[in-house]
Amino acid sequence: MTPATAICLAGAAGLVLGGALPAASRAAAALRAGLTLQALGAALLGVGGVAILAAGGTTGAPLSAQIRPALGLDPLSGLFLVVLGLTATPALLFARGYLPGGHAPRAVAVLTAAFLLSLAGLLAARDVTTFLGFWEAMTIVPAAAILAARRDDEARSAVLLYLGITHLGGAGVWVALLALVLAGPGGATGTLIAVAALVGFGTKAGLAPLHAWLPRAHPVAPAHLSALMSGLMVKVALYGLIRVELEWLAPAPLWLGLVLMGLGLASALGGVLYALVQGELKRLLAFSTIENVGIVTAALGASVVLATAGEPEWSAIAFAAGLLHLVNHAVFKTLLFLGAGAFERATGGLDLDRLGGLLRRMPWTGGAFAIGLLAIAGLPPLNGFASEWLVLQSMLHVALDGAIGISLAGAVALAGIAATAGLAALCFTSVFGLTLLGAPRRPEVAQAREAAWPMRAGMVLLAVPCVVLGLVPGLVLPVLVDLAPSAGTVPATPGLDLPATGSLPTAALAIAVVLVAGLLVAARGRRRAAPAPAWTCGQRVVPELSWTAAGYAKPLRLVLEAVLRPRRRLEVTEAAGVVTGVDYASEVALPVDRFVSEHAARHGLRGAAFVRRLQTGNVRTYAAYLLALVLGLLALARTGALG
Amino acid sequence: MSAIAAVVQAGGLAVAPLVPGTIQALKARMQGRRGPSPLQPYRELRRLWSRSGVEPLGAGLPYRLAPPVVAACLILALAIVPVAGRSGPWGLGHDAFALVGLLALARVAVALAAWDTGSGFALMGAARDQTLALFAEALLALALLLAALPAGSTDLVAMSGSAAGTAIWTEPAHWCALLAFALVVVAETGRQPVDNPDTHLELTMIHEGPLLEYAGRDLAYLQWAAAARHWLMLLLAAGLFLPHPASFAGALGLAAAAVAAGAVALAVLETAQAKMRILRVPSLLGLGCLVALAGVATWGAGGVL
Repeated sequence: MTPATAICLAGAAGLVLGGALPAASRAAAALRAGLTLQALGAALLGVGGVAILAAGGTTGAPLSAQIRPALGLDPLSGLFLVVLGLTATPALLFARGYLPGGHAPRAVAVLTAAFLLSLAGLLAARDVTTFLGFWEAMTIVPAAAILAARRDDEARSAVLLYLGITHLGGAGVWVALLALVLAGPGGATGTLIAVAALVGFGTKAGLAPLHAWLPRAHPVAPAHLSALMSGLMVKVALYGLIRVELEWLAPAPLWLGLVLMGLGLASALGGVLYALVQGELKRLLAFSTIENVGIVTAALGASVVLATAGEPEWSAIAFAAGLLHLVNHAVFKTLLFLGAGAFERATGGLDLDRLGGLLRRMPWTGGAFAIGLLAIAGLPPLNGFASEWLVLQSMLHVALDGAIGISLAGAVALAGIAATAGLAALCFTSVFGLTLLGAPRRPEVAQAREAAWPMRAGMVLLAVPCVVLGLVPGLVLPVLVDLAPSAGTVPATPGLDLPATGSLPTAALAIAVVLVAGLLVAARGRRRAAPAPAWTCGQRVVPELSWTAAGYAKPLRLVLEAVLRPRRRLEVTEAAGVVTGVDYASEVALPVDRFVSEHAARHGLRGAAFVRRLQTGNVRTYAAYLLALVLGLLALARTGALG
Repeated sequence: MSAIAAVVQAGGLAVAPLVPGTIQALKARMQGRRGPSPLQPYRELRRLWSRSGVEPLGAGLPYRLAPPVVAACLILALAIVPVAGRSGPWGLGHDAFALVGLLALARVAVALAAWDTGSGFALMGAARDQTLALFAEALLALALLLAALPAGSTDLVAMSGSAAGTAIWTEPAHWCALLAFALVVVAETGRQPVDNPDTHLELTMIHEGPLLEYAGRDLAYLQWAAAARHWLMLLLAAGLFLPHPASFAGALGLAAAAVAAGAVALAVLETAQAKMRILRVPSLLGLGCLVALAGVATWGAGGVL
């Protein structure tokens, strides 16, 4: 057994013990100790992942399309174990302060451990059976955790939708993997496998148009589970996508690359656009997950396209760009969901227009949340910018190196990703302002207290990689490039010093911004007149009249009215010519809901009503079914149809 | 050579306010007014520098940090963009997309300051600015792609080198790029028909809106940054899209002439053209995107038609 395997096994043991402890004892101390053990286990898994990446090569069984159970690890699993460690450790630390105040904390703690174990098991699965087993566990366990923590109808219907869509879509995973076992990649089956895997993994990753469950299910979970679902689970779905589409089916065909780019782009633009029109923080964050999954998928698609265009080096860089964005998004999305959980606990609600001024009241939580927002908005010098820069460069090289059609696709993708970055900046500036700045807009918000120390520690722990990965992405990039299916090498410098770019010395830029801004602050001096109210044409600035999320997104809504097609409802009640009340509501429905899901639900219910007639509850009917089945099978065996 | 290039680049810090000054002076002449001297921005900066700042009630760190951060972003952008195809040894690289990132950081810093003050007019301007910016960024990315096609790289020095000489002018893609970038220049500098820099009517402002709450040295930083944006965009236009000799002195002379010509063109445009409705601007920028995509297609189709 290699040291890396031993560390990973110790980590898994930590998760098992950490889950068993709160299951065995009702004591509050057992819950805390269990979560600490789990955090330790997750951290060990992360360390094990680093060890595997450092050692290179495979330990345990090699990956194969067999049905005989086998476990093992290779560098790609190692990277995802690192992501698991990076996100789950702080999330569990956070849960240590967060869970005791919620519903059914023990059940949720146990299920959290089971969830992480199924994720780790999925990463270690080397054969189809084990993979599918852990895959199903990964889908079902968070649903159980949500139902344990929340009893309301909203959560129930969200979970039902989540299970429904991910199972229907997840059939694609089964089809793809079983087809791999039966026929192996290549030929017509290769196409079938590629499409089925795209549907299966795409659903779970939240790729448009199969994403309808994600913005409903992620927000209803307890904060640390929302964080793990958005930060980690969708990434593991992308892991499956990479395994099947880019590894088993290697070399992936050009059409697959273009499809991935197209789906990715649609998800990126659609995700951020719908994030912008949300009024609730966690729902907004869930939509932004769709956006970032889209960016990663588009980069993976670019990698395939570049490989077919005979550019192995840029293909590897595009692949690494996708992975780096995946790691970055895992970090800051986990941070943001944890922050949202802390705000919810402190203020009792996450309606974006009913928060405000939290940076002053909760400096630690607010500060970490601010770093996460600036990182996800893709601003230098944080990590989001580094990976988006790489993705932009990948798209540009698709446009530079391809034939005319591919070149155009690359150009469209480049413009789309640039616009996505602009939309994300708009979206998260507004979130920053609405939650952290300005005056509090509810009495509870004004009374908000800083979160407990484990919660703060979890969030600060996540803010650190946002900064570090932004300063020295170039130290991580060569590792990621090595994971790519096509060969390529990049120099290991702190910044991103790539051929055919002007190079991005991230650390130097960061230092220069801080230094120059610092000098300018010093030059400005301290001479200030007495504070005066802000200028609003002589009116006073009152919290009730302050700007809303909808107000800030209004120019964009007006520009994109034809795309978003909001449904508005305005009711004015009048009494004797005097307006006594105005009720206004507007909603932007997802196109997939409007055109697909609503019809699918109607027909599905009709179908269910029909099927229910078969279930009479009468024993004799069931006996007749059994008899018919046996007779049918016998007949089939007789005719030789069953072999 | 690189030392001279560094000095020339740093000179941009000082020369930048001359660009909007010249535009204002020319515009006044064309409108039959006597107008201010081209040096007026310098006078204003000196006046602002001697004034004390005013801070709105309740504003905090984002408000205080925005002006220095914006100015710092523009200073770094000036270091990244080569003058006449040469760049000083700043160690900051010269990547086109790094420039886009710095401009985005400056924009977000201003928008966050607007949220910090809570002033409706500042927020109105910031929201409009960010909305237009996302279309402008897409167009800018496409224009940079077109400029990167001959060099096969987003290194601004290499891009500028590949645009030297006159051969590039037979490429239809280059003409599309020039048109696309011209739209970016208008949008990024906040000139008509996208924005009216002369207006001080709260409801119509875009770029000026978030500046309402600033005074003194803070305002001086922000006004200098607005001027630096003019300088930067015209310099990029000259370096990437206009025919220029490969020699440094020749290219430098041409860059100076091109910036001056750009200022004249902006003044003429602003005199001849009324401000557009804000919501029409994305259509204009979208049209620019289509032109740029057409340029990519002609390049892919084999360049010279």
